Amino acid sequence: MAAPCVFWGAAVSHRLFLGGRISLALRQGVWKAAAAELQVGTGILRLRHTTGVTAKKNVAALRRETYTVDFIKKQIEEFNIGKRHLANMMGEDPETFTQEDIDRAIAYLFPSGLFEKQARPIMKHPEQIFPKQRAIQWGEDGRPFHFLFYTGKQSYYSLMHEAYGKLLDVEKRQNQLQAKGLFSEKTKTKDLIGSRWLIKEELEEMLVEKLSDQDYAQFIRLLERLLTVECSAEEEEFVQRFRRSVTVQSRKQLIEPLQYDGQGMAFSTSEGKRKSAKAEAVVYEHGSGRIKVNGIDYLLYFPVTQDREQLMFPFHFLDRLGKHDVTCTVSGGGRSSQAGAIRLAMAKALCSFVTEEEVEWMRQAGLLTADPRVRERKKPGQEGARRKFTWKKR
Amino acid sequence: MAAPAVKAARGWPVLALGVRNRLLRFPGLTQVRGSRYGPEYKDPQVDKEYYRKPLAELTEEEKYEWELRKTQHIKAAPASKTSSVFEDPVISKFTNMIMKGGNKVLARSLMAQTLEAVKRKQFEKYHAASAEERASIERNPYTIFHQALKNCEPVIGLVPILRGGHFYQVPVPLADRRRRFLAMKWMITECREKKHRRVLMPEKLSHELLEAFHNQGPVIKKKHDMHKMAEANRALAHYRWW
Repeated sequence: MAAPCVFWGAAVSHRLFLGGRISLALRQGVWKAAAAELQVGTGILRLRHTTGVTAKKNVAALRRETYTVDFIKKQIEEFNIGKRHLANMMGEDPETFTQEDIDRAIAYLFPSGLFEKQARPIMKHPEQIFPKQRAIQWGEDGRPFHFLFYTGKQSYYSLMHEAYGKLLDVEKRQNQLQAKGLFSEKTKTKDLIGSRWLIKEELEEMLVEKLSDQDYAQFIRLLERLLTVECSAEEEEFVQRFRRSVTVQSRKQLIEPLQYDGQGMAFSTSEGKRKSAKAEAVVYEHGSGRIKVNGIDYLLYFPVTQDREQLMFPFHFLDRLGKHDVTCTVSGGGRSSQAGAIRLAMAKALCSFVTEEEVEWMRQAGLLTADPRVRERKKPGQEGARRKFTWKKR
Repeated sequence: MAAPAVKAARGWPVLALGVRNRLLRFPGLTQVRGSRYGPEYKDPQVDKEYYRKPLAELTEEEKYEWELRKTQHIKAAPASKTSSVFEDPVISKFTNMIMKGGNKVLARSLMAQTLEAVKRKQFEKYHAASAEERASIERNPYTIFHQALKNCEPVIGLVPILRGGHFYQVPVPLADRRRRFLAMKWMITECREKKHRRVLMPEKLSHELLEAFHNQGPVIKKKHDMHKMAEANRALAHYRWW
């Protein structure tokens, strides 16, 4: 890997060698260079010219930092050795020292009060710290290695080429089978729900190349075409490389454990929030549908019908209208947000008395999601959050 | 039959379920403008009967939807929606349109009084009518409301299109939601403006609704005027490019 060479003539001029190519760093033209004849490989013409204002640019910092393969390898070795040292320091077994242990150890040894988490000391594997870069794509003679280099997006086009090749193979095979009469229309159900296509950012990361939206769309369309036709195991594997799994059940709903009071009645407690109202509800297993809010009956606490309907909603949805007693406390917010907070708390508490399927139904009815909507701030130059000042022509 | 392929609208593949462009969301920064929910959040399904259907009765499409919804994030149900049988989306929309300054309590009470007034008037007519006429008198205020609004919906609308420095009123087919909105808007505007100040809104509204139910009254006239204007400007229809 050629190191950058800096020529100092009588003046400030910088040239950089990068594997046989010469790139000129031209910024903020403080440079009156005569057109230099650049010769690849052999010597460079040394120019003598003066600059107007002496502004020394740190050209090394301007260009993108390229990490050599050896450099990265060295970093990885150092990281591994450092990991073992750290394990020894902490008195743990170096063989089973995981990344979480490293993070804990670093937080312990280098406590930092900085608010910005990313500014605190970290020790991670070099793959996660140094961005993935491409090695130099051309050889000593300047000829690129990959045959699609001059398309500009060689990895993307080679991937498309590969995928289309596979599609053609599959179709050829199908034609052959059809000619022989052995073709059968059996289609298999694929688990399309448990996984998703990887998104554009993930694909870019995989190929270490910038893609446009149309490129990405084209690629996904091709993969979907591959999915529709019957393909063999290796093509399946090829397609599966581009699918990521999705949390099949989006219910990471924490179900509160049941508690028992003095009389042996089971109850469940839960909290709910809405705007600035916070509520805590205790739902008893057996009751007659009485709801007490802050010690007051709900009919008196919520004179508005809409709020009472909101309180009834979780019970009515599960057909348990007169079957539970509820005691809740609520503070903050206005009448509608207090009702919403209590509704959320009650729905969450009800999860403990109800089957998993019904919990999923409640989630799909929107009863178990905390409403994230808050009052939008007023912006400067406007009268309110959205309302602008009256426009005057003059 | 293979599970239906991921639906593509206009050739654009359905992008990742549940993954938003995390680059836009930095820790410590809250989004100020725009929805607080990510684009992957879907609207909640509040209807109880949808969930009570036994699995065997569902079609392939419905089964697929069922499975798909399990992986999706769902928004919270808004404060005006419940699973109650008494709730009507049209009535809710109309109540919101009547509402002024966020006073939902007042709007809802006005709506309730209007429906009560409609019912009372119809019952009076019912009791005063003879046996043959009784069968034809509709007493359910909800059916009257729906039918009245349906009668007020225009079929075609006018849109100002700029051509050669002048705005021409071009007849244009209206979407369903636009039609419903116009019917409701006309009804409310009519009741607000053309009433005596001593007359209360529920009374006026109930009167207008009953007239519209029988295809009479100022709102129906407005609809017919709109249709006539569209008919008159028929020649400009080619200005429309969509």
